[in-house]
Amino acid sequence: MAELLSHVLIVYVVLTCAGWRLEWLTQRWVAVGMIGAILPDLSRIGLFVTDATIETALGVPFSFGALQTLGGLLLLAAIGSLVVADHRRRAFGLLFVGGFLHLLTDGLKSWADGTAGAWLYPLSWYRHPTPGLYVSSDLWVLVGVGTVALVVTLIDLGILRPMSETDK
Amino acid sequence: MKYVGFSAVYMHIGLRGIAAILLVGALLGLCVHYGATYDENWPHPTGDQLATEYDTSVDERVLLIGEVISTNPSDETATIEITDDADETAAEIQVHGVTQSVAVGGVVQAYGTLHADRTLTPTNIVVVNHSSWDGGYKLVTSVVGLLLAITYFVIHWRPDFRRFVFDQRTPDRRNLD
Repeated sequence: MAELLSHVLIVYVVLTCAGWRLEWLTQRWVAVGMIGAILPDLSRIGLFVTDATIETALGVPFSFGALQTLGGLLLLAAIGSLVVADHRRRAFGLLFVGGFLHLLTDGLKSWADGTAGAWLYPLSWYRHPTPGLYVSSDLWVLVGVGTVALVVTLIDLGILRPMSETDK
Repeated sequence: MKYVGFSAVYMHIGLRGIAAILLVGALLGLCVHYGATYDENWPHPTGDQLATEYDTSVDERVLLIGEVISTNPSDETATIEITDDADETAAEIQVHGVTQSVAVGGVVQAYGTLHADRTLTPTNIVVVNHSSWDGGYKLVTSVVGLLLAITYFVIHWRPDFRRFVFDQRTPDRRNLD
């Protein structure tokens, strides 16, 4: 995975730009999508409580890795949508989109065997070929995404105006 | 704002509570199924498998991911530590042909042929963290990302403790235009 800041900024950029076309996709819904970007990384709970500890407590196999998959994301987005006051389907959709962009971005990173993680679980354990665009510690990812996010923010606030046909 | 009576509020809370319990149950079930089936579906040996049945992976092409515990630039080797589900050391493997810059505390992926003498001849190596500093960088930026998402959310949504929900805090800027 890339670091979480890049994931959050990618979702911010994509949803903010989409909001320029979709009237209903306002800032508060962009915020919901950004929370969605966090969901797959809830698997990092494993840094504090190991799978083995949970397995001992429950007496069955267990892995937080499921949270970083399509199935885990669907369930987490559904749970998240329950704590929103209205438009729960929209909340679910944006939580899912935010998390899906996270998983999709992770699917582009480098793996030594040339194939990505099995993030399509439980649909499939298939590991698709990865273009190997980056590793998670690459600073250029954050610099690039951060720069785009800054430009998008300036445009969204009306401070920066893209050149239109009438300006030329 | 539309008035919602107390009874309606609690009915909604009850229904959402039941839905939440079912979904959390399904999520736990998914984690159990994932944990139970991971080893047989992951095409490479896990830490647990290396610890208990190392010989079955000898002469196989495997992908190993581990933290670098020692390096020897003169003969281009690095020893990596593979951990098990309990984050305990499952195996220490010496990887040959490490020409990339990587220090102790870094993390590498090595794909290649595993040998009985606990060495690996790689066909490809990906340095994930060049040193422990890279790990620190990812941790700090991830915490910043977490705080950014939460802050942005709290700017636009406020908790309503009576209904156990987040509600719209302010009209959207676009709606104010």
